[in-house]
Amino acid sequence: MSTNITPAERLRDAGLYAPGDAVLSVRDLNVRFNSENGVVHAVRGVDFDLMPGKTLGIVGESGSGKSVTSMAIMGLLPETADITGSVRFKGKELLGLGDKAMCKHRGNDIAMVFQDPLSSLTPVYTVGTQIIEALTVHNPNMSKQAKEARAVDLLRMVGIPSPKDRLKAFPHEFSGGMRQRVMIAIAIANDPRVLIADEPTTALDVTIQAQVLEVLHTAQEETGAAVVMITHDLGVVAGMADDIMVMYAGKPVETGTVEDIYYNPRMPYTLGLLGAVPRVDTATRQSLVPIEGTPPNLALPVIGCSFAARCPLVSDACLHGEPDLFPVPGAAVPGVEGQRLGHKAACIKSNELSGNADAHKIFHAPPKPVSKFDGVARVEREKVLELKDVKKHFPLLKGALIKRRIGTVKAVDGLSFDIREGECVSIVGESGCGKTTTLLEIMEFHPDQVGEVIIGGVSNKVATDHKTKMAMRKEMQMVFQDPTGALDPRFTVYEVLAEPLENLGMPKAAIKKRIMELMKLVGLQPDHVNRFPNQFSGGQRQRIGIARALAVNPKLVVLDEPVSALDVSVQAGVINLLDKLRAELGLSYLMVAHDLSVVRHISDRVAVMYLGKIVETGDVDDVFDNPRHPYTRALLSAIPVPDPNLERTRERIILQGDLPSPLDAPKGCNFATRCPVFAALPAAKQEKCLTLEPPLASEKEGAQDFACFFPDGELDADMLVVHA
Amino acid sequence: MLKYLMKRSGIYLIMIFLTTSAGYFLAVSSLKPAVLEQEKIPRPTPEQVAASFRGLGLDPELNPWERYVQWLGGIVTRWDWGRSPNGAFVNAEFADRVLVSTRLFIASIILTLIIGVALGVYSAARQYKFQDRVITSYSYLVHILPAPIAYFLVQLGAISVNEAVGERIFFVTGISTPGIDPGWPAFVDMVAHYAVPTFAMTIFGWAGYQIAQRQYLLDNVNADFVRTARAKGLTRNQAIRKHALRVSFIPVAQSIAFTIPAIFTGGFFAEAIFAWPGIGLWSIQSIGLQDVNVATATLAYGSVIFAIGAILADFATTLVDPRVRVQ
Repeated sequence: MSTNITPAERLRDAGLYAPGDAVLSVRDLNVRFNSENGVVHAVRGVDFDLMPGKTLGIVGESGSGKSVTSMAIMGLLPETADITGSVRFKGKELLGLGDKAMCKHRGNDIAMVFQDPLSSLTPVYTVGTQIIEALTVHNPNMSKQAKEARAVDLLRMVGIPSPKDRLKAFPHEFSGGMRQRVMIAIAIANDPRVLIADEPTTALDVTIQAQVLEVLHTAQEETGAAVVMITHDLGVVAGMADDIMVMYAGKPVETGTVEDIYYNPRMPYTLGLLGAVPRVDTATRQSLVPIEGTPPNLALPVIGCSFAARCPLVSDACLHGEPDLFPVPGAAVPGVEGQRLGHKAACIKSNELSGNADAHKIFHAPPKPVSKFDGVARVEREKVLELKDVKKHFPLLKGALIKRRIGTVKAVDGLSFDIREGECVSIVGESGCGKTTTLLEIMEFHPDQVGEVIIGGVSNKVATDHKTKMAMRKEMQMVFQDPTGALDPRFTVYEVLAEPLENLGMPKAAIKKRIMELMKLVGLQPDHVNRFPNQFSGGQRQRIGIARALAVNPKLVVLDEPVSALDVSVQAGVINLLDKLRAELGLSYLMVAHDLSVVRHISDRVAVMYLGKIVETGDVDDVFDNPRHPYTRALLSAIPVPDPNLERTRERIILQGDLPSPLDAPKGCNFATRCPVFAALPAAKQEKCLTLEPPLASEKEGAQDFACFFPDGELDADMLVVHA
Repeated sequence: MLKYLMKRSGIYLIMIFLTTSAGYFLAVSSLKPAVLEQEKIPRPTPEQVAASFRGLGLDPELNPWERYVQWLGGIVTRWDWGRSPNGAFVNAEFADRVLVSTRLFIASIILTLIIGVALGVYSAARQYKFQDRVITSYSYLVHILPAPIAYFLVQLGAISVNEAVGERIFFVTGISTPGIDPGWPAFVDMVAHYAVPTFAMTIFGWAGYQIAQRQYLLDNVNADFVRTARAKGLTRNQAIRKHALRVSFIPVAQSIAFTIPAIFTGGFFAEAIFAWPGIGLWSIQSIGLQDVNVATATLAYGSVIFAIGAILADFATTLVDPRVRVQ
């Protein structure tokens, strides 16, 4: 099964067999970069055909070569990159075209939307100028009025309110989601045949992600363009894509229709990826599938299967020759109606994986750990942390010399909740809702704070001396979002872990012993203690961060987005570790996360925050399976699920607009301005939402608390979307 | 905008008043013109010196505060910046000096800015290529070359040109030839005097702008928004010219504020070497001559120029960067 076919032959074959009606045909695309460590072979033979109006999802972890592939197609790689193979647009070869010749196609035939909307627009030009520029480049004879009218149309199409006025606005006057809409408007300005979206929603909040995906959908419908959707999130492409290409180490390892990939994966990597993603829609009491190890270094030649080092099914045969993409037995033949890529997998064992292969068994996922607290009723457990009406208001000042208060930002506005022994409580909400401020308020632990914070039975109102504060710190430790930034690059792991222990005055021998224990506890090799953080991978660094937090044996660990900086396969391992530690050590977690799937998987209880207030809180299964507050309902419906059939039929609530500025927080219910229930209410009932603040209370004993007057109200039809 | 400018001007006026007052106290307590009088032949008695100084408003027997009040009163009531120990009025010479300095520097300031920024852009677009290496190496070389030596080399060059041609084309010192006919001959004479100092200050002046502009532009060449512009269909060079350039000019515009006053007040080398009796030279000379009022007046002038530069920079920044809005 090894490669006997030369690249030249493959290219010739591609020419013979490429479907004549494909808008974009990529054959044997290879990209090499010169780096200080030698030649990095970033993309190693990508083939695909993109049919008009269809969507191809390219899925892979960071470093898998998916973005480099898209940049190579666009001709945007640096001149030093060595690109070989063939990229044909409607039969015309694009590779090897000069910058100028390529410009005729870029933005006209093939357009692109990038990942970070905040930096992708030029800050010194109005969005109108930037949209019109895209029109001018390809339509030099278009009149100024026509261009302006077209720009207004485009902005309207991507859902920007009062488009005519917004034409004159600068990028910094837009929010991230709005800027991404502008990017999409620029990309579709010339009705391109191919639209490449490179992680278009990764930098955005879930509700905004849903809006932007919706806009992309509209854009595709309006222009009839074929879309290449590049993402690491299997949920995002499940509902959008027709075909999927899974990339690993610069090479496609499995291709097929969405159904093929999601319901019948034939490559262990795909199988592992699908099992590594927690699901927001089901209450699984199962561990996630961890894929141990790291992708190979592409500066070295790949011998054998690139995934062999991480594959649980690896055998000797896998180490000899890299397997090519071969049709999966029983799959439809490419070229037959409806089968564009054909189901292919680059694995010599794809036969064995047929049907109902269980990723958990294959990848040896650990059993769900059982904690000693699992049998104890919640009310009988001790309170580890309690917050009573905690508030944090920031004054908003204006003026150069004499500051005058023009308003108040209510970042945290009356928060009360508690955490019992052995449980994980998560706070969720969009950015700007006050999650991080809440954590900071807990860590602050100062008598002058508004409201009471009680940690391990000690209140901030009485803990004024240094000694009680030190004791409190021992009870509570924190794990940070960015594992690289949180570790001092000049400290060895030993020094990182020893610091908190030295602080407690532990003798040297005991410290050494404890550090060895900790390393084993978090699944790192104890003899790596003398290494520096940069010698570890992202997942390992986060394990070091967790070990540092656990060094002093805390009761409560505060987790601030602990896995959001990690790749899916690595994330699963860290989540499993957190689960295990909680059970073994009887820890309690307070977690802040924006990924509701992770929250559902790991938490017992959840608090949904909106504009500084909890709008719904309770057991995670109650809240996720039967959300009562419209905001929770919208949040949950916005999360994409890695299940194509479900994703296509799911009803989605698309919230209008962004999180309002805390400055114009309304008098009654905070959420009324964006609420899908409020929008559908008769005016008489709306009055209640606008004047009275709904209290946080439960409907019946033992159910979750929520703050809404009309939890069963009809949803506004305009905000509901289904893609059948 | 006007309101903003008024407000900024007001703040700078207060700053100028404070620096000038501080400068006056420093000068009045450290400069002692009476010492120099002792070297005159016949040597005057201390009483004679004191009496003559008293007549000039430089009474050495008053304490610094009394002198300050007297000096400030003169400025506020009569716009009289005082007199030198030799009896000359500061006001009378001041305007001439400023005019000389302005005429000397204005052309080279503008040329330096334009050439420096243009070369910065040119070299950034050709990073690590031959042209970039030559231009940027030259800038670093100029940075370490002391100004007096550099100016002197240009003078020598101009003289050798004159000798080679066998006619005096360039004047290497002085402002103008006395007694020249007005009209065309006067204009040719002016250009002949201008050429050498302007040339010298320009070719040794643009290095800072070139290096800064090159660096800031390179920071932006690979920015996401340049990539967006290319994805629209602009060529790499068009994208850099239209998108990266303006963003990279923002920090350069700010730095102008600090270079303009430095050229004016630090230009005494140029004024001395090319024999243009301007304000920089006057400032240095006044310290040597223990002249309190002239030293303070030149200091005040430096502050004013600085304030103008800072306002210009604010103005330029708001012009190129829409994120900065005056309120």
